[in-house]
Amino acid sequence: MNDSLAHETLNHEAAADDRTMFGFWVYLMTDLLMFAVLFAVYAVLRDSTFGGPTASDLLNPDLALIETLLLLTSSFTVGIGMLAAKQLKKDQVMLWFGITFVLGIAFLSLELYEFYELIHEGHTMQSSAFLSAFFVLLGTHGIHIISGLLWMGIILVFVAKRGLTRSNVRKLALLSLFWHFLDIVWIFIFTVVYLMPFIGV
Amino acid sequence: MAENIKNDTTVNDHHGAFRSYLLGLVLSLVFTIIPYYMVTRQIATGNALLLTILGFAVVQMFVQIFFFLHLGRGPKPLYNIVFFFATAGLIVLVVGASLIIMDNLYRNMSPQELTTRLAQEENIAELNGKPTGACQGNNANHTVIIKDNQVSTRHISAQLCDTLVLTNNDSSDREFVFNSQGRTVSYGGMYNIPVKGGRYKSITMNEIGIFSFRDSKNPEVTGHFEVEP
Repeated sequence: MNDSLAHETLNHEAAADDRTMFGFWVYLMTDLLMFAVLFAVYAVLRDSTFGGPTASDLLNPDLALIETLLLLTSSFTVGIGMLAAKQLKKDQVMLWFGITFVLGIAFLSLELYEFYELIHEGHTMQSSAFLSAFFVLLGTHGIHIISGLLWMGIILVFVAKRGLTRSNVRKLALLSLFWHFLDIVWIFIFTVVYLMPFIGV
Repeated sequence: MAENIKNDTTVNDHHGAFRSYLLGLVLSLVFTIIPYYMVTRQIATGNALLLTILGFAVVQMFVQIFFFLHLGRGPKPLYNIVFFFATAGLIVLVVGASLIIMDNLYRNMSPQELTTRLAQEENIAELNGKPTGACQGNNANHTVIIKDNQVSTRHISAQLCDTLVLTNNDSSDREFVFNSQGRTVSYGGMYNIPVKGGRYKSITMNEIGIFSFRDSKNPEVTGHFEVEP
């Protein structure tokens, strides 16, 4: 009797988890639409350099490749961390999400370094329509990464204090979804922004 | 009992999920590095390469969706897939239509294209040495030679679409302006026609009426022309 009651509560909670996941998925899809619009803007404006340097003069595909590898690996580690969370292995969760956090910081540092170099050399958002679109697209992705890292830090503090409660595991699941999503957006940034300008005609 | 069964399946799930993440990582790395090498080593060029790297990006997106997000695995999340494909459709519309519209706008409204169209409307046959398609066939030349501030022909009778050639044989630069009925007007699509020393300018006679031309730097250099249909 008690068993079946407990089981029913579990089912209820599982259904609630599914609804939360679906709600978050809907948010991710709207976020994806926003990125799509920014991509469209970038694609339209990428040659409007106002007589200034073009994408192939300013951007460095080698640096972008390293950023891509960092983010790809972090997407993998977040998945492994999520597996550990489902098995309620707290130490492994801290380890894999910790690695993800460090990879995220490394990615962000490289991106900020690139921004700093560009701005330092006088290529700011105001220089041309191309650079405006570039900074808005990359900046929006970067802000998502920053939010993800803050979120990750907060959840890890929760996990460290209260352990892998159902609520914490759900938070980790949403975060991992968010992180995979940012990786998918970055693939297109890598291809469209960093590879396409270097295609010879 | 039910709990036990659930635990068993989760253990299997975890093993499968780990392999899925690993496979996803390996495939993603491959699909990142191949296009990178193709572009940086210039293995192909042009549209073929463009389509190839975009194809790799799309394939990698699906790899991550299946191996990282596990979309479509398990019985429950059908709505997720529906929502994903609806969004994908919207993205194709937004991005694709934007590109088509802006490309059309650029083709039809570029400064070059606009100038050509205006030139056609104004019956200007030639622009920067290129024919515009207007005023074809009917083009007698009326040459005005200016030497020592003297104008060779002070009166010209012409027909619409004839060409007026202002030749400056002096060393000083000139800048011609046009007048009609006491007002400064544009002619041949221009208000000022600079003619450097030793050079000439051709103007399509694109308007009917009586006009006069004058060097704005030396008002004595002047003449008039009558254009009939």
